Amino acid sequence: MLMQEEVTAAFHPQNQCLVGFAARSLWLIPAVPIVASGVIALLRQPRRALAAGLAIGSLSVSLFFSLMAFAHVLAGWMNSVAVRETVNFTWIQVGSAHVDLGWVLDPLSAVMLVMVSFVGLLIFIYSVGYMAHDVNFTRFFCFLSLFAGAMLGVVISNSLLLLFMCWELVGLTSYLLIGFWYHKPPAAAAAKKAFMTTRVGDVFFLLGMVWLFAQTGTLLFYNGGAGSMEPLKLGALLASPAGLGLSAAGAIGLLIFAGAAGKSGQLPLHVWLPDAMEGPTPVSALIHAATMVAAGVYLIARVYPLMQAGALAGGTTTALTVVTWVGASTAVFAALIAVAQNDIKRILAYSTVSQLGYMMAGLGMGGVAVGMFHLITHAFFKALLFMGAGSVIHGCHEEQDVRHMGALRKAMPLTFLTYAVGMLALCGFPLLFSGFWSKDGILEAAQHWSVAKGPFYMLVFGALLTAFYMTRQVAYVFFGEWRGHKTAHESPAVMTMPLAILAFFAVALGAIGTPAWPWFKAFLSDHAAGFEMARFGEPGLLPLMGTSTLVVFLGLGLGWWIYGGKSPAAEEPDALERAIPLAWGWLHNKLYVDELYGATVIAFYGWWAKVADWLDRCVWGGVVTSVAWLFRGWAQLNRLIDIHWVDGGFDKGCEELASGGGLLARVQTGRVQTYLRLLALAVVVLAAILIWSGRG
Amino acid sequence: MNFADLFRATLPETALEIAALVVLVVDLGFLRKAALNLRVAVAALLGVAGCAAALWMLPFQGLGFVYSGTGELLLASGGSSAVAQIGILLLTALTLLLLADSTFTRHVGEYVAVVLMAAAGGLLISAAQDLLVIFIGLELLSLGLYILTAFAKKSGRSAEAAMKYYLFGGMSAAFLLFGFSYLYGIAGSTNLHQIMLAMYEWNAFRAAPLLYVSLVMIAAGLGFKVAAVPFHLWAPDTYEGAPAPAAAFIASVSKVASFALLISISTAAMHVFGGLNAMVTFEVHSGAVATQNYLGFAVSWSMILAVLPVASMVLGNLAALAQVSVRRLLAYSAIAHAGYMLLGLAYFSYTPRSAEAILYYVLTYGLTTVGAFGVVGVVERATGSDRLDAFLGLHKRNPLLAVVLLVLFLSLAGIPPLVGFWAKFNLFAAVLQVYPTGAGLGLVVLAVGMSAVSLYYYLQVLKRAYVMSAVDDTPIAVHPVTLAVLLLVATGAVLLGCFPALLQGWIAGFYPGL
Repeated sequence: MLMQEEVTAAFHPQNQCLVGFAARSLWLIPAVPIVASGVIALLRQPRRALAAGLAIGSLSVSLFFSLMAFAHVLAGWMNSVAVRETVNFTWIQVGSAHVDLGWVLDPLSAVMLVMVSFVGLLIFIYSVGYMAHDVNFTRFFCFLSLFAGAMLGVVISNSLLLLFMCWELVGLTSYLLIGFWYHKPPAAAAAKKAFMTTRVGDVFFLLGMVWLFAQTGTLLFYNGGAGSMEPLKLGALLASPAGLGLSAAGAIGLLIFAGAAGKSGQLPLHVWLPDAMEGPTPVSALIHAATMVAAGVYLIARVYPLMQAGALAGGTTTALTVVTWVGASTAVFAALIAVAQNDIKRILAYSTVSQLGYMMAGLGMGGVAVGMFHLITHAFFKALLFMGAGSVIHGCHEEQDVRHMGALRKAMPLTFLTYAVGMLALCGFPLLFSGFWSKDGILEAAQHWSVAKGPFYMLVFGALLTAFYMTRQVAYVFFGEWRGHKTAHESPAVMTMPLAILAFFAVALGAIGTPAWPWFKAFLSDHAAGFEMARFGEPGLLPLMGTSTLVVFLGLGLGWWIYGGKSPAAEEPDALERAIPLAWGWLHNKLYVDELYGATVIAFYGWWAKVADWLDRCVWGGVVTSVAWLFRGWAQLNRLIDIHWVDGGFDKGCEELASGGGLLARVQTGRVQTYLRLLALAVVVLAAILIWSGRG
Repeated sequence: MNFADLFRATLPETALEIAALVVLVVDLGFLRKAALNLRVAVAALLGVAGCAAALWMLPFQGLGFVYSGTGELLLASGGSSAVAQIGILLLTALTLLLLADSTFTRHVGEYVAVVLMAAAGGLLISAAQDLLVIFIGLELLSLGLYILTAFAKKSGRSAEAAMKYYLFGGMSAAFLLFGFSYLYGIAGSTNLHQIMLAMYEWNAFRAAPLLYVSLVMIAAGLGFKVAAVPFHLWAPDTYEGAPAPAAAFIASVSKVASFALLISISTAAMHVFGGLNAMVTFEVHSGAVATQNYLGFAVSWSMILAVLPVASMVLGNLAALAQVSVRRLLAYSAIAHAGYMLLGLAYFSYTPRSAEAILYYVLTYGLTTVGAFGVVGVVERATGSDRLDAFLGLHKRNPLLAVVLLVLFLSLAGIPPLVGFWAKFNLFAAVLQVYPTGAGLGLVVLAVGMSAVSLYYYLQVLKRAYVMSAVDDTPIAVHPVTLAVLLLVATGAVLLGCFPALLQGWIAGFYPGL
């Protein structure tokens, strides 16, 4: 993992006082789309062109500012300055304690800003075509804009609290967008499931955040040496034990990772992501491929100093080991399930879960740059694949089952070409495609991991599966014979143009992360980058590239051998199902995780709810009723005493008092004489109290 | 303090008085034949200009008169006084702008002049450090308020309210002056700091009962100003009878000034000997048998101030539940709010924490109350009544007005993220910091419980505005200036609530670091 870090000395840090215009205006990047969303919300429903124009325009502004920020960081990098500019301010002040918010501009946020706003903009444009016939077009763009703003807010946050607020806003918009077609019961259920599953992770995240605040007194990441991600506070965190052999740093890191696992669909909280495909396809592309699910990975990258705190040179920490194992398991687990799915979007959804596992494993073993590089390349090619799938669905008249497609390479040539590029990038086709280089970086880090070799073998196996299931999907969709109902047609240019642009990047992005010119890694870790072919000669690198090439070809070949050129009817069992029916059944049913949760967690809650209901009705209700009876009895007794003992004269007095409007009204007579008497009386009484207290 | 210093210290008051005279000259001299709305506009604008001039003068008062402890100090500047004075001037300007389409009087010039003079009295008592200055300032303010209450000359209720207010106020002032004279007799000085020092001398020990009596009388006089139970009886009648802008002025500016005065007294009591002996009681042995506790100034003052808030919070909130007139409701809620703030004064800290929390509370309370009376005034003009039923269906008749009402009332009830929540939060936190157990904790719990009760009657009004169906659907027109002021106030309540550190930081900036 540390091979290239020692190549050149790190840049000298930037003077803290220098905060340029780019950093000071950073808040505009999330603010503009959020304001646009508010304006769209106020529009009357039929204003389609205006709504789309506002959303696209606002995100263009964000993209412009993002590029400006990126250029600023890049200029610093070229002058060998490690740019990290923060703008912090106090939000709440309670006595000496204060809660600060702020934003940060550094290579990590700059790269992410450009990716989110650029991919987001393409998806916005694509949506204009995809959602053209939807009644609630305006509402859709309102949610999309709000989502983009919140996501950009997550990216620029310099405070865990601000990040959490935007994080929750992202969760909310995700809920709204998955359930956009809420009249379809599966969509409504999927929205609910996504919201509640991610909430499980968020609770842990919140706990970690509160703990961090209690330990360090700040939630800012960077604050001129006093932030929680800076050596001073990290040292304090390491020094305080948290039980089970963990330091507070490790325990907080694990809690935050639980939040990230919820958002990024890691095992065992991945169940919501495939169901989320019930939302409109641009939403799947934007939220469930390119941006929101990457937020968890970004969060881990952001708090990496905390995760890494206490690691010896070349060593690792408990938190990072957990991240690695969870990531690697998710990668294989989801890839296995993807093999046996028939819904075009579900295959991609499981593929996303699997790739997020790769990113997490990359973060755990290779550091920020390795994980983030895969995040960026994946964002481009997975958005491309989802939008390609959307184009296919659009062309096939809302058909999503791959068994009802086929031969689309003739009907939809442009979609086919771009989809093929995305598919090869995802499989990691050697040398030409970005996915190859980013996945290779992760495999290389796994190969050199000091703790265990398990993740390496798991990730290689996952690569084989990836190539296999993508070949299966492409063979079903684009080859063989047409098995659909109506004839398919190519999508309009507003949808295919973004595909072409993304396809370009799915290829080109590889160039910035090859071992010969590891620009991306150098940029993120504040080192200079030089072009050196000789780095290919490092021990173990070429054999590794050979292995992964071999694995990819094996997967492609196997897939083509089983599925290529055939067109089985939809009712016919799958080729694999005939070969290994038992395993197929398990995989097709997603390894029964949903059923497991249904039988354990959900059943337990159901039972608990029944118990609580019973307690409420019988026990507490009984207590309340008996108290009520007690008082009623007491009141009856009082009534008897009242009637029999209290004489009529007193009754008459009470009546008079009541008719006068109670005691208060008696005082507030409106007669100023009474007021003045009362004033004098009050003075006398108060003075008496005071003098009496003065007596020994 | 020589006369040059005194002149500089009273520059803002001078500016207000000159503005008052200018308003009179312009209104009675040049605009005698002009239309009423022109005269209103000119008078209000001149008044606002006077406030602006006074604000501009504030930095020229000169600093360095804070807690100096010298016998000659008449007026303080900086610190709490500066915050309160800025607050008074801003709130006065807002209440003047609410005058925009008022029709209760034809004598606008006189009205504005009296408002400005009363505001000058408010400025004076916020800074006063001497019994005589305090009394003069209080009378200047109070006399102005009596006149303002009576200003709707065609309304019998206005005259009646003013008469009651005047009689009650006169008697309170008599008590206050009586108390002051006792205090002077015991301490031999009229300066607050000198009095605090004298409290530790033999004279004061011997005259302990007389001291208590005088403190209670002073508490009666000042309790009348802030409408604390049991000196609150004038408030409901006055709030109900006074013209709406005058009621807004009474509820906001007069409150700010009076609490600034109470803060001055408590600060002086706490800062004697650098805060070391302030809260100590002494056992005086006379002869062999009888012992007598001597409470000193600070302890007995705190004890009185701890009784008033309990009564105010309970009675104010409970009585408000039974009101059908929104103005009376606001009057009782004002009594309750005064109770919360007195709680902060009863448990006062040596550090500026308590003073900051009380100022935060009274400024934001003043702001929201001005807005609330503005809304009530508009509704009253449209429907001819201030009863709860007059607010039926307000959100259909004028949605913006209803939104302003919603924001202001929820802020008064202390719902986050509006500014009223932070005001309560800071205040209670300050009390708990001084006295985290026993009585302090108990009173804070009572206060929190009572704020929960208060939500009920605020929601009663909002329920009529939003939920219950309207009897009358005709839209209510609002004068653009009034609407702008109301929106400004509501926006302030939201923004200051979302960014609570803004106002806190601004107030804290007036205190030199201790």
